[in-house]
Amino acid sequence: MENLFGFLENNSIYIVLFIVLTIWAGIFTYMNSLDKRLKEIEIELKGDNK
Amino acid sequence: MIYKSILFVLMTLVIIAGFSLPIVPSPSVWYEIPNIPGLEEKAKIIFFHVPTAWLSVVAFLMAMIYGIKYLRKQNMDDDAKSNAALQLGMIFTILATVTGSIWAKFTWGAFWHWDPRETSIFILLLIYGSLFALRSAIENEDKRAKLSAVYSIIAFLTVPFFIFIMPRIMSGLHPGSANDDNLGPVVDFKMNGTMQIVFYTSLIAFTMFYYWMWKIGYKSIIIKDRLHKKII
Repeated sequence: MENLFGFLENNSIYIVLFIVLTIWAGIFTYMNSLDKRLKEIEIELKGDNK
Repeated sequence: MIYKSILFVLMTLVIIAGFSLPIVPSPSVWYEIPNIPGLEEKAKIIFFHVPTAWLSVVAFLMAMIYGIKYLRKQNMDDDAKSNAALQLGMIFTILATVTGSIWAKFTWGAFWHWDPRETSIFILLLIYGSLFALRSAIENEDKRAKLSAVYSIIAFLTVPFFIFIMPRIMSGLHPGSANDDNLGPVVDFKMNGTMQIVFYTSLIAFTMFYYWMWKIGYKSIIIKDRLHKKII
C-alpha cells in the first residue's frame, strides 16, 4: 500500500485519473437510476390510461 | 442493459487511455502516442474536446430531422425529441467552447482570440440560443412546435458552414486552419494507430452517452406534457 501511495505522489496525474473515473462512475449511476425511475413512471402512466 | 455496460466500459477505457498514455517524440511501443508539434502534452484534449463538438453537430442534425418529422406528421412527440436534441446540442456546444477556451489559454496565451473557429462557434451559440428564446416566448404548443421545427431546419443549414467550412478556409490559430502547417491532427491524420483507436472509441462512447441522455430527455418532456394535459 505504501508503494502505491509513493507511486501516486510521484505521478500525480494518476490521482486525477482516479478522481475523473470516480466522477464518471457517479454520473453513470445517477443516469441509470434516473432512467429506471422514468421507466417506472411510464409504466404507471400507461396503467392509468387503460 | 448491454448498451449501458458497453458504454460504461468504453468511456472508462477512453478516460484511462486519455490520461495515462505517454506522449513521446517517436513512439516505439503500441501504447505510446506521438508528439504533435504545437499541441505536445495538450494533444490529449482531442479525446474529450472533439467529441463534444462532434455531438453538438449530431444533436443539431437530430433536431432538424425530428423538426422535419414534426412538420410532416404533426406529432408532438417529434417536437419533444427535437427539443431534447436542441437542449443537448446547446450543452455540448457550450462544453466545446469552454474546453477549447481553457486549452487556448495555455496554448495561445489567452482564453479568447476571436479566431475563426471561436467566432463560428460563438455565432452558433447565438443562433441556437435565439431558438430557445423563441420557444419560451410562444404559449400555443402547436405554433411553438411548428416555428421551432422550421427554425431548427434553417439553423442547421448554417452548421456545416460554421463547423466544417469557415474555420478551414480562413487563416487562424486553431489546428486545421488554412495557414496551419501541420494541418491539424484530426484533419491530416497525424495520429498513430493507438491514438486513432482511442479517438474513435471516444467518439463512439460519447455518441452512445449522448443517445442515452437524449432518450431520457425526450421521454421526460413527453411525460411532463402528458401529465400537464391530464391535470388541465
